[in-house]
Amino acid sequence: MYNLNRRLLLGLGLSAAAVGLAGCGDDGGGTDEPVASEDIPKSGTITVWCWDPAFNLYSMKEAEKVYQKTSPDVKLNIVETPWDDVQTKLTTIAQSKAFDQLPDIFLCQNNAFQKNVENYPDLFADFGSSGIKYDEFPEGVVGYSKFDDKNWGCPFDNGTAVNALRTDILEQAGFTVEDFTDITWTDFIAKGKEVLGKTGKGLMSGEVGSPDILSIMLQSAGGSFFTEDGKANLKDNEKLIKSLEAYRDIVAAKIFTQVNSWDEYIATFINSKVGGVINGVWILGSVQTAKDQSGKWAVTNIPKLDGVDGATNYSANGGSSWAITPKDNKVLAADFLAKTFAGSKELYETILPKAGALANWIPAADSAVYKEPQEYFGGDAIYSKVVDYAQKVPAMAPGAYYYEARDAVAAAIPKIIAGGDIKAALEEAHKTLEFAMN
Amino acid sequence: MSVTTQPTVPLAPDGEPDLTPAKRRGGRMTISRRTNLVGWGFLLPAAGLVTLMSFWPMFRALILSFQSGRGTRMRWADPLWFNYTRLLEDKVFQQTLANTFIYLAIQVPIMLILALILANLLNDRNLRFRGLFRTAIFLPCAVGLVSYALVFRTMFANDGMVNVFLGKLGFDPVPWLNNPTTAKLVIVMGLLWRWTGYNMIFYLAGLQNIDPNTLEAARIDGAGPIRTFLYVTVPQLKPMILLTAIMSTNGTLQLFDESWNLTAGGPGYASMTMSHYLYQVSFQGSPNFGYASAISYVILILVAILALIQMKVGDRRD
Repeated sequence: MYNLNRRLLLGLGLSAAAVGLAGCGDDGGGTDEPVASEDIPKSGTITVWCWDPAFNLYSMKEAEKVYQKTSPDVKLNIVETPWDDVQTKLTTIAQSKAFDQLPDIFLCQNNAFQKNVENYPDLFADFGSSGIKYDEFPEGVVGYSKFDDKNWGCPFDNGTAVNALRTDILEQAGFTVEDFTDITWTDFIAKGKEVLGKTGKGLMSGEVGSPDILSIMLQSAGGSFFTEDGKANLKDNEKLIKSLEAYRDIVAAKIFTQVNSWDEYIATFINSKVGGVINGVWILGSVQTAKDQSGKWAVTNIPKLDGVDGATNYSANGGSSWAITPKDNKVLAADFLAKTFAGSKELYETILPKAGALANWIPAADSAVYKEPQEYFGGDAIYSKVVDYAQKVPAMAPGAYYYEARDAVAAAIPKIIAGGDIKAALEEAHKTLEFAMN
Repeated sequence: MSVTTQPTVPLAPDGEPDLTPAKRRGGRMTISRRTNLVGWGFLLPAAGLVTLMSFWPMFRALILSFQSGRGTRMRWADPLWFNYTRLLEDKVFQQTLANTFIYLAIQVPIMLILALILANLLNDRNLRFRGLFRTAIFLPCAVGLVSYALVFRTMFANDGMVNVFLGKLGFDPVPWLNNPTTAKLVIVMGLLWRWTGYNMIFYLAGLQNIDPNTLEAARIDGAGPIRTFLYVTVPQLKPMILLTAIMSTNGTLQLFDESWNLTAGGPGYASMTMSHYLYQVSFQGSPNFGYASAISYVILILVAILALIQMKVGDRRD
């Protein structure tokens, strides 16, 4: 009896200690006061996971140079890790609690941000005391990494939607890019049909079952797959119905070329099979690989939905944000991001022309580099144009079940294109999503 | 297979040859005991690894399948079998289950029959370039699953090789991967291309064990090649056919690479397999490992049931 009691007491003591420790852990990130500058380490190595050597990895290297001007003893250890691997590694680390395997900073797809923060809070440290001014970023962009009223991400990659068009093809049909600016989808379809009739080329392409275009349409009107409190919102979602109608009409008008894979999608505009592309601004990197088409492209805003409250010509698709982990280096890592991606015009001036990395950080748009005419796009200063679009993108209620919602809607699209009833298809998708969410 | 390995020494209940007389003659440790111990010694490392790497995770997965929650916030499900009852209501899971069984029902029989015929043809000693043909048919097995799936995807793209070819013949292009039926068909074709040669090799090996006298006797008795094949060759290959049937069933039920790379499960969920859905539930969507484990146990149970049926039907020794 005595023995049993002693063990019980020990057990109680230990669990109390564990609770106490956990309590300490929570206190650590709670303060929102910026860390005093003398508390920021002056040396150290920050490990970073990101994936694109020509884009985000390059930008990180440039950020290192910028930061080293004030803290020469801080070094980066950048590990090239494709996004799918980042996600798998994060999941594995969180499940096995092997947190020492985490980097100090990793790049996270905006669409996957909520899901990871909500399910694996252990992997993230918040930016509360970093001194990043979140009002210097567009609201829609900050929303991706905001959870429980705290900021868990430093926005990086700009996913503002653009409508890139081939001016030479439009010209053959008697149009200019102005005819496609500030228009509605109904106008777009009418004009697209004319272009198709005269040149034999459509104006859009996309992967079958990929709801990219659809979510661009939806966000352009401030719609979402979710309600504000994160519930499934597919059934009777007026904005989604209007988006699907527009999508169906575009396909029916034959101005939308459906393909099966990403490489085929890129090939449609590289090989001039279609005369335009609508996607996040990052698609321009792929567009510009067709050197022979230099000067023949123009960038404008996307068409807006007809008859929808809050419809705009601005939207976004994808993008990514930097996250920091709750390791010893978190103060340094947060300060690093605050002084580079959320505070250095110089950084954005370097990475824009070299990597096409467009800032989400609004002050960067004042920079002269952003106002430079781009020869590839007919001498238009497209970058300051896109940064301007970015600020007009309506915020969208993000959700931890984004991928489930996307898949459910993707399964509904073929039925709708085949002439099925949109309401019925959405009702089914709604059920699928609700099921996946509970 | 078991036909050729019938043991000649009577077996003791533990499966070791019964060498009772020798046991009595030995010193402190009998020969049988020593053989036993040495045997266990050799088995131990492998058995230990299998236990650690296969059985332990399987056990953990079973435990996990009784838990629910997202990410790391797992707790015991209420009721305990919640994840299993959830499967009954999951339309997507049912669709993937149906898809997998369609692959199984169409692809496995065609593949095995084709492999059997090819093996029989290529077993002809008088056939010229026999080695070349055998190699050519077996070669697809040496190709990585992902790479062949990507090649098939390119071939069956809307403006891919197959449609170009059909166009030359005057047919309209077929949207192979956009249509639920043709998307499944492409996966079946891919599987046939990839795995027929593999099974053929098993049959070729089995054919080497068939006594040529039996075939000659059948011929002398006036049986034509088809009757010889059906009534003499096939019955003697039965153990091998059973083996390949179980392996193919098992492989098809766990099909992942083709579904993932070739069609991405699309359009919608029309060509998605169970394993693909399992992956999606754990890594793509909001992670639900308890539910994913339940799915994996359903796959395990299905494989076990089907293997059992096949053994009952196919291994009737008379």
